[in-house]
Amino acid sequence: MRIGVANLDMRYWTPGGDVNAVENVSFEVAQGEFVALLGPSGCGKSTILNIVAGLLDRTSGRVCLDDEEVRFGYVNRKVGYVFQRDTVFPWRTVEANIGYGLEIAGVPKVERQEKVKRAIEVSGLAGFDKSFPRMLSGGMRQRVALMRTLIMEPEILLMDEPFGALDTHTKLEMHKTLLEIWERERQTVLFVTHDLGEALTLSNRIILLSARPGRLKEDFVVPFPRPRDAVSLRETPEFGRLYSHIWHALGEEFRRTKAE
Amino acid sequence: MLRSRSAILFWQLAILVVTLSIWEWGFDLCRAVLPRPWVPKILDPYFISKPTGIWRSFLKLGCFADNAGFMSCYHENANNLWLATLVTLKNMWWGFLWGTSLGILTGLVLGRSEYLSQIFEPYIVAMNSIPRIALVPLIILIFGLGDLSKVVTAGIVVFFVVFFNTFEGTRSVDRDQIAAARLLGASELTVLKTVVIPSALAWVFASLTPAVSFALIGVIVGEFIGAERGLGKLIIEAEARANAAEMMVAIFVMMIVGIVLAFFVRRVQAYLLRWQPQFEEKA
Repeated sequence: MRIGVANLDMRYWTPGGDVNAVENVSFEVAQGEFVALLGPSGCGKSTILNIVAGLLDRTSGRVCLDDEEVRFGYVNRKVGYVFQRDTVFPWRTVEANIGYGLEIAGVPKVERQEKVKRAIEVSGLAGFDKSFPRMLSGGMRQRVALMRTLIMEPEILLMDEPFGALDTHTKLEMHKTLLEIWERERQTVLFVTHDLGEALTLSNRIILLSARPGRLKEDFVVPFPRPRDAVSLRETPEFGRLYSHIWHALGEEFRRTKAE
Repeated sequence: MLRSRSAILFWQLAILVVTLSIWEWGFDLCRAVLPRPWVPKILDPYFISKPTGIWRSFLKLGCFADNAGFMSCYHENANNLWLATLVTLKNMWWGFLWGTSLGILTGLVLGRSEYLSQIFEPYIVAMNSIPRIALVPLIILIFGLGDLSKVVTAGIVVFFVVFFNTFEGTRSVDRDQIAAARLLGASELTVLKTVVIPSALAWVFASLTPAVSFALIGVIVGEFIGAERGLGKLIIEAEARANAAEMMVAIFVMMIVGIVLAFFVRRVQAYLLRWQPQFEEKA
């Protein structure tokens, strides 16, 4: 077990009263698993991810990475994190952004440049090495952010709706890149999304959360064989069947969100 | 495009020529053709001199028109135009330097620490409410008539401008960018060096162009109130003799100093902030 969450509770204090964001959530992610955390917006899925990353303090419950308790404010070097928002450093060129983690870790320049060059090739950013982020599209900037995290070779990858702000076509391209990398390297991934198609395309398992307060609703296995093709997978009947099955479960939660 | 650019240049030159002409001949012309009460007093060379008169004063103050030669005039007149400009520039530079350094440092520290910024907030608000110029007589009392009091004045004026901008810039650094850096292994110090400072730099630079002008204002006002030399002293001396031409010379020199320094700040800014769209290199 790489990620262990047990009886996690999270309450926010707001002027309008306490808000229960997450209630009694427990799940585990095994070595090399790609797990999607799926739920309607506001269900606390990003909150769970941020607690696992040590970016947020929890109200109660246990959160472990490799049997080591996660402490708020402490960064675990095994963890890589990709944000939904654009967090690329605008004052650094593409290569300096991707090499950032290696640079501050003191990796020698020659070794660093080699790794950065390889990462740029893998991500399809070739030719933009010396560009500043403002010259890139949103999708390309997110590629930079992804490679900036992956170049550190994290064993555990936490992703917070990393493609949520991209258009459908760019999103599919990103799925292709991510599948290619993951099927080769098999990191342990916890991937937050509200996009069912995305969860089905990428993950081995989908954890479905209820509308606020976020509770564990169901746990689905995604049995599609690997390597997967991000586009043709969506056209198979199995994909359609599982999609509509989870859709009904998810639809209930969306309706509950709207009813509030 | 070419046409409009030359048209702009034409109008700019036209404004210059018309202004200088009115300045030079306007008063005499008005006096010749208009009845006495209608002659605009403001054009009187007693108040604003004339371009030719200013030029003659420039040659005299700059030691170009002296029969004894440039060097002997330079040594004889302790506050000739060159020395006065150099002294003012020197005081301005040191004032700018300490004011900017302290402003950036304080802005970064208070911007990064919610605790300290809460403690110091009322004091900073109170200090900022004092018109800086009101402090000048006090500063001269403490630091004397020499250059130090001008350096201190310029520094205080510059400090607040740079401090407030650095503080705001530090506070507005993207929290997710800081979190991303920390998750990539950055320590608190590395975050400061690689995220907070580059990000706040745009704000800091936005304050440096006004800071240059403020440093000049600080030095000149200090020299007005009490000094041994400098461009401000030159103006005060010329005022005592009701010599508008000499005052105008000093004013023009200050203008040129302001233009040149602002240009340098822009160049450094354009290089350091080349990642921002408004400083994109023109291909």
